[in-house]
Amino acid sequence: MTTQNDGNDNRRHDHVDQAIQNAVETALPQINGIDFDAALTSDVGLDSVQVMDLVMEIEDELDISVPVEVLAEVQTLNQLGGRIRSMTKDSSR
Amino acid sequence: MSLFDKFSQLATARAELGAEGTPPVATPIDDIISAAEGVIDGKRVVLAGTNNYLGLTLDPDVVSSARQALEHFGTGTTGSRMANGSYNGHAALEQELASAFGWPSAMVFSTGYQANLASIATLAGKDDFLLLDSDSHASIYDGAKLGNAQTVIFRHNDPENLDRRLSRLGADASRALIVVEGLYSMLGDQPPLAEFVEVKKRHNAWLLLDEAHSFGVFGDRGLGLAEQRGLLGEIDFVVGTFSKSLGGIGGFCTSPHAELELLRLAARPYIFTASPSPAVIASTRTALSKVVAGTDLRARLWDNINRLYRALEEFGYRLGSDKPGPVAAIILPDRESALAHWKGLLASGIYTNLMVPPATPKGLNLLRISLSAAHTPEHIDRIVQAFGQLRKAA
Repeated sequence: MTTQNDGNDNRRHDHVDQAIQNAVETALPQINGIDFDAALTSDVGLDSVQVMDLVMEIEDELDISVPVEVLAEVQTLNQLGGRIRSMTKDSSR
Repeated sequence: MSLFDKFSQLATARAELGAEGTPPVATPIDDIISAAEGVIDGKRVVLAGTNNYLGLTLDPDVVSSARQALEHFGTGTTGSRMANGSYNGHAALEQELASAFGWPSAMVFSTGYQANLASIATLAGKDDFLLLDSDSHASIYDGAKLGNAQTVIFRHNDPENLDRRLSRLGADASRALIVVEGLYSMLGDQPPLAEFVEVKKRHNAWLLLDEAHSFGVFGDRGLGLAEQRGLLGEIDFVVGTFSKSLGGIGGFCTSPHAELELLRLAARPYIFTASPSPAVIASTRTALSKVVAGTDLRARLWDNINRLYRALEEFGYRLGSDKPGPVAAIILPDRESALAHWKGLLASGIYTNLMVPPATPKGLNLLRISLSAAHTPEHIDRIVQAFGQLRKAA
């Protein structure tokens, strides 16, 4: 499993990244390593059902709900992580 | 660059499936002999993949109603009921549907797809929430896309997973519409409806049940899974289709909430489309009366269902549902074996459905059979024998 989550923003690997990584391992065991900056459908080759399974796994890991509308806005796991961080920040205000 | 470039993967997938012989996607059906038999590639076959659960498409009374309406009212309504006038037959069918459920309101739509599109997109508005089972039909997902509600997916047939998502909404759950199906058409499995009802009540949410594949099949009067489980009083909206057990085309939404009528003023897939043709409304009215009174049809269907499920289990096939139902989905290890089964059955004179990812849940490769009250015991024998030959050859 490789995560390349520090290419763009130099962030440290946080609990959201960890949850995403755990979810990938559970929902997509057939995928050996995933680039967090790769487009899930065009680069990794996931279909819509696989993306949905992955997101449900992330929701369970973090105990949050990710609206379907968010998925339309993101292409990569890093982008999804970013949206999740802003969602959880919003709800904790 | 072409506008069509984005379809290249789909084109490749289709080409791979249909490279030789009869294509398993959009299979040409040359002729219809009866509700249970047709002609494919010049050969007489048993139709075991048409969702014609009660076999009413060629029922003489149903056909006669359509013929009379066709001759009297013409081929179409040529417009929307809101803009171009509402025929009495459409309103009568709505009244008959509502009466069957004992509810005050029902609306008829031009297709089952539009019934979901209209109901889901309109009932759940901008500040509301939609909670959809992950295995939902495309029309349910598309209803969510057309509307403005925030949409959250819960794990298939998992009331506890739904409960967690509703808990996160807190008091907002009272503006959440949960959508589940009475029978999931891919795997042929049924929801734990009583548990879903319990979760809905705990959170003061709303429940829409899509009975597209279960209407006509379950319940003493064929009203669907909610009737069979004694839960009709707990459901807020039932959506159904005319294109399966009722043998026509169209769809409906009915509700114990009289305010459903307000959707006529707001639901775009209802307002901005032509209403069903008079002939289809007439045939559906006759078919509906036969469904409600059709205990003999259901008895025949269930005999066929139980026989086929038993045989497939004896052959050692892995099925999509442990509860027998009108859809028998055989889970095969890969696309090649699913395709080989589909072709083998067709060679034995049995038409079924091949279902492969991404149309299927969990990336499964499926061979799907839909049973009918029109299947005779001999048809079921032929289906079982064809599977027996495939098993022997494996």
